[in-house]
Amino acid sequence: MLVTICIGSSCHLKGSRDIIASLERLVSLHGISDEVELTGSFCMGECAKGVCVKVDDELFSVSPATVEQFFNEQILGRI
Amino acid sequence: MKRQFGTDINMIKYEVCVEVAKLAFAGELETRRDEIPYTIIPGNTPQWRCCVYREREIVRQRVNLAEGRPAIGTKANKNIVQVLPAACEGCPINRFSVTSSCQMCMAKKCLGACNFGAITFEGGHANIDPKKCKECGRCAEACPYNAIADLMRPCKRSCPVDAITMDEENIVAIDEEKCINCGQCVINCPFGAITDKSFMVDVIKLINSGAKVYAMVAPAISGQFGVNVTNGMIREAVKALGFTDMYEVSLGADFVSKNEALELEEHVKEGKKMTTSCCPAFVNMIKKHFPQVLDAMSTTVSPMTATGRLIKAMDPEAVCVFIGPCIAKKGEVIDSITYGGADYAMTYEELASMFEAKNIDPADFEGEMQQGSVFGMEFSVSGGVTNAVLSTFKERNEEIDVKVCRANGALECKKALMMLKAGKLPEDFIEGMACVGGCVNGPAMINKSRTYMKDRNTQIKQADSRGVLENCAKYDDLEFSMVRK
Repeated sequence: MLVTICIGSSCHLKGSRDIIASLERLVSLHGISDEVELTGSFCMGECAKGVCVKVDDELFSVSPATVEQFFNEQILGRI
Repeated sequence: MKRQFGTDINMIKYEVCVEVAKLAFAGELETRRDEIPYTIIPGNTPQWRCCVYREREIVRQRVNLAEGRPAIGTKANKNIVQVLPAACEGCPINRFSVTSSCQMCMAKKCLGACNFGAITFEGGHANIDPKKCKECGRCAEACPYNAIADLMRPCKRSCPVDAITMDEENIVAIDEEKCINCGQCVINCPFGAITDKSFMVDVIKLINSGAKVYAMVAPAISGQFGVNVTNGMIREAVKALGFTDMYEVSLGADFVSKNEALELEEHVKEGKKMTTSCCPAFVNMIKKHFPQVLDAMSTTVSPMTATGRLIKAMDPEAVCVFIGPCIAKKGEVIDSITYGGADYAMTYEELASMFEAKNIDPADFEGEMQQGSVFGMEFSVSGGVTNAVLSTFKERNEEIDVKVCRANGALECKKALMMLKAGKLPEDFIEGMACVGGCVNGPAMINKSRTYMKDRNTQIKQADSRGVLENCAKYDDLEFSMVRK
């Protein structure tokens, strides 16, 4: 599963680096590092929805406060 | 300052970046980006193409890329290296072409060599029917007069990994699965139809937001702004742009040398071979084309990541921006978001554009600095990584018996990796650099003049002779990992 996190400036200011750190921690905590690849991307052009995170090709709007719920539903839930 | 450009393509790329940077600094990009094509291509007389409308469309596509988006009209993809469809001339050249050296000989070896019936004889010489030619090249090999020229398209010829194809209208297309972002096609297309996406606007927006943005300059920086412009002066100019401070990536390179030497020692003890991991295009080549030898790749982070981690160990709020001569580094940032090193990567071309946009000339500043050892500074020259790694053994008064392969340029890298994969490489340590000569010949250098290497060496001669380990010891109180995750 490819999880792409936008690192454009708008998403950066909304906490994309915190989201990356949280996702990285949760992925290794659940021992699914082999199944989930975390990668970055240039601005996805959806700044209003930031922080933009794509799971495969589906776009989600995630904030540092909702990252755990997002992980449980959209990443763990799909494995 | 008046800037010299290698070609008009370099000049236009620079001018577009300057205009984009100006508007980004002023916070007016959203409302005024459409003016840029008219600023750069005024009037009604075209200078390079059929008409000003096409020239402006090319500029419009360049603006898009300078803002980090793919060119208009292309399929969204993650590659750093992107095609500007409006700029591609579709090079209407047939790859194999009979020249005037054809003697209309009796042997007609070309005819015998062609399996596709493409060769005919009219007008006193051989002809190749482009509709039948499959570009196998046998006729050219067979001709006893070397009268058949191989005119491969320059983009295709420059690509070391065969990632370039043409679409049905002969416009260049890049295969993202194969491309290693080395940037050779960017500098080799004579029409400037291939270029790199940029993080420059993101960096400017972060500077404007008041974030603590740190610049990390790659060691090829020495001499980039002229023989008299030292890194200390560049640091002050970079601060005038709004960066919090500037660090030399040669410092991170010293940590890489230290760590890679320890790793190499282990590998040699176990009778295993090891490759370097600092050149991102070389790393991409291994990942995409030689995954079988991934285990041999050093697990040490790149000097960019090391420098970023070091800065963040001092200032956790730091936003770290790598600035170098390299296009592939931008891809490394995207691939290594979980490493916690660099947040963005830019090029010297883009840095120079930012200076111009703010009317800042590094020559007007004063300052001295040296953070890396001379060994760290020489990471940007082919053979430099090896020398730095081996120097640490000397510094420890130890000896190591290791055979070294300095793969200079993508073709040598490919050859070494093929041998390694086949188990036939005699050397133990492979230093891979995708640019011939090293990063100092990187695709995004701003000073490509003949005197550049001389200027660079003059500057480096003034640096002190601290050792790699001695230099790393100064940062012993900082805790950061040197291993990839």
